[in-house]
Amino acid sequence: MTRHIHIVKVHHLTLSFPTRNDPNPKPVLDDVDFGIRDGEILGLIGNSGCGKTMTSLAIAGLLPENAEITSGSIKFAGKNLLEMSPRERRSMLGKDIGMIFQEPSTALDPLMVVGKQLEEVLTAHKENIQTKEERHKTITDMLELVGFTNAEEIMNRYPHQLSGGQRQRVLIAGAALLKPRLLICDEPTSSLDTVTTVSILQLLKELCHNLHITILFISHDLSVVRGFCDRVMVMRDGKIVDRDTASDILSNPRNAFTAELLTNARLDTRIMGFEPIKVDYTKDPVLTATDITAGYGRRLFERGKNKDEKADNKVLHDVSLKVYPNEIVGLIGGSGSGKTTLIRSLLGLLPHSGKVEIKSPRIGVIFQDPVSCLNPAHTIKWHMSEALEASGKANEIKGEGTYKERKAKALARITAVLEICGLGEEHLTRHPNELSGGQRQRVAIAMCLIQDPSLIIADEPFSSLDASSSAELLKLMTDINREQHTAFLIITHNIHIVRQIAPRVIVMSNGKICEEGTTSEVLTNPQSEATSKLLDAERQIHVILPVQN
Amino acid sequence: MLSSKTKYRSPEASAFYTAGMILLGIVVLAFLISLFWTPYSPDATDASAKLLAPCIEHPFGTDNFGRDVLSRIMSASKYTIYISAAGVAIALILGTLAGIPAGYFGGYIDKGIMLLGNSIMCFPGILLALVAVAVFGASVTNVIWALGLVFAPTFARVCRVGTMEIKELDYITHARVMGVKPYRIMGFHIFPNLVPQLLPATVIGLANMTLFESGMSYLGLGVQPPDASFGKMLSDSQAYIRVAPWLVIFPALMLVFYILGLYFISEGLRVNLAKGGKR
Repeated sequence: MTRHIHIVKVHHLTLSFPTRNDPNPKPVLDDVDFGIRDGEILGLIGNSGCGKTMTSLAIAGLLPENAEITSGSIKFAGKNLLEMSPRERRSMLGKDIGMIFQEPSTALDPLMVVGKQLEEVLTAHKENIQTKEERHKTITDMLELVGFTNAEEIMNRYPHQLSGGQRQRVLIAGAALLKPRLLICDEPTSSLDTVTTVSILQLLKELCHNLHITILFISHDLSVVRGFCDRVMVMRDGKIVDRDTASDILSNPRNAFTAELLTNARLDTRIMGFEPIKVDYTKDPVLTATDITAGYGRRLFERGKNKDEKADNKVLHDVSLKVYPNEIVGLIGGSGSGKTTLIRSLLGLLPHSGKVEIKSPRIGVIFQDPVSCLNPAHTIKWHMSEALEASGKANEIKGEGTYKERKAKALARITAVLEICGLGEEHLTRHPNELSGGQRQRVAIAMCLIQDPSLIIADEPFSSLDASSSAELLKLMTDINREQHTAFLIITHNIHIVRQIAPRVIVMSNGKICEEGTTSEVLTNPQSEATSKLLDAERQIHVILPVQN
Repeated sequence: MLSSKTKYRSPEASAFYTAGMILLGIVVLAFLISLFWTPYSPDATDASAKLLAPCIEHPFGTDNFGRDVLSRIMSASKYTIYISAAGVAIALILGTLAGIPAGYFGGYIDKGIMLLGNSIMCFPGILLALVAVAVFGASVTNVIWALGLVFAPTFARVCRVGTMEIKELDYITHARVMGVKPYRIMGFHIFPNLVPQLLPATVIGLANMTLFESGMSYLGLGVQPPDASFGKMLSDSQAYIRVAPWLVIFPALMLVFYILGLYFISEGLRVNLAKGGKR
């Protein structure tokens, strides 16, 4: 195999989505020109919608059908990919170019055991002549390489029996099975918690060194890129605006946009000009939950498998918490610690024992996924008026008058609330798919606000947003907190955010609250093992441990 | 090559649409014209012009009573379209009203509704419709109701599965937390999102309904003489198939056009939706 300095060379690539109405639209990728050196880890960062994913899809040959490459070329190990037949390109996928996606929960077939899915990877490439035993050996070896100690057992598991981090490991194993020369990782860690993120990054780094795999790492999380990548490219609006070695670009940015990204990534409230909020703890709490115990029924497979075991299927054990008016409380914990179950119980969506007392008639809620948080069939205006009607305060606001006057008053209220959330009148008639992720989260907050709640619960609102949108959302939340006196309960795995805006923090682990107190105290002097573990992981993410070999 | 393939937005879908529209257009055009004008009265008999082969005066020939086949086909299209459209409308309404609550509430409501639906589905549909028509009498209205009932479970299933998927999404949870009432969630939050799935199901339902109607008319339980439907015309002409094949060919051709047209359109919808779903 000949070695090239650049394993992939993208040469002045321009790509757009022409439609019948608009044959010459603004290009999604505009004159993108870069090379990936053999054996390096190249980071590609930028805000959402800047063309990171399109770049990777163009290299892998998985572009949507309506995309059109107007100029440029992509060379992989000297061969021009754009001149190859679809058949040749397909045979390159997996063998020469591997790919890992963001969402590990949807990338595996739920009806196939892991071992079978991995075997599929091997059998899909005909030139790979191996007997069944050999294939089995290859797969177990690879699973052990990605860090499973019980490879045989993992092979016989279904995807739903694995955690998010384990699934991502399986996917990495699948991608590495054929020893591709290039591995494209499209935000592989953004849906994972900090502890898992660290271990996945470590694993990728080991693979890069041991199997000599080149990695193109796409992320919006700068803290992840910092210790992990050799070189970093910054993209904006389809153009590459900055490129340099990782340490240079992140500690000493020369480009204004990179500097802005870095500032946003730091989410430094002192820079953004926040002051800590004063909370009066003598007032009655807005939310009092006492002794909440909740869980799910046992799954079908588990029911059949361990009939004798009387496993405890409770996820939460006697959880009690209070949220005071005008307070921002952070709730942190690793994945599987029962954070989301607690929220569902508090909202009354899950049957539970214990008592939940809420002072206001409504509590607002914001979910993690900005894609499914709004109904795709309706406009923003419909969403807002629906929220207004559901709050039961519609008549109060509309007051007396003709139908037209009442409607105008409701609309005025809707626009006012949207304006608080930084959205203008022009957004009223838009559908959710015409908005960005950050804007959708804003609409979700606006829908909560119009109901005038005393508490808004936010379940991982930042984890799928890029740095700039996160910073804006964070600012919006603190503004609302100060101006509308709404309390926030923020669930997150980003300790950094909690440190910045929440004066009080609650740490959960294994369905119990293991620590509670003022943020500065808990995070500087952790009393429980779970807290110190989370803090360790956060520290590690900035300095990925050197590879042992 | 990549770029040559990406010029049009889903060319397959537009090919299916065009073919479907042309075929369906022939039948619909015949129906629309028949509302105002037919070459002859569809029921007018002419003893001197029995079993005439297609000629200038009678482009599609005449039948054993000397009735003009073209005029009869045009008026038959009216019944075919009317029965299939009304039947599908009934099936769609009943199916949606049963399927969405079944999917949304789950538990005993789901079990009850689906038990009813499944027990209808486990009989051969035409048999059930035949029994209904035999009990309540053979008339167009009864046929429509019978076919509507037989087809309702199919729509109920589509709605139920779609609802089960959608109700887990965050915007439905959000609506519940906001305090929106269940019937409003089902009607205004879930139903509009089911439309993309219901649309192809409806079009296929129309085609299947027409086949059923033709079958029943063929057996003499659908449209009653002297009115005509495509199935009725086919069954009437079977005795003359050797001497006057045009009696079979033309109604059968119209039936094929109608059903094939609908299938093509549903295929186009399916392809287009599948493509549109991808990002």
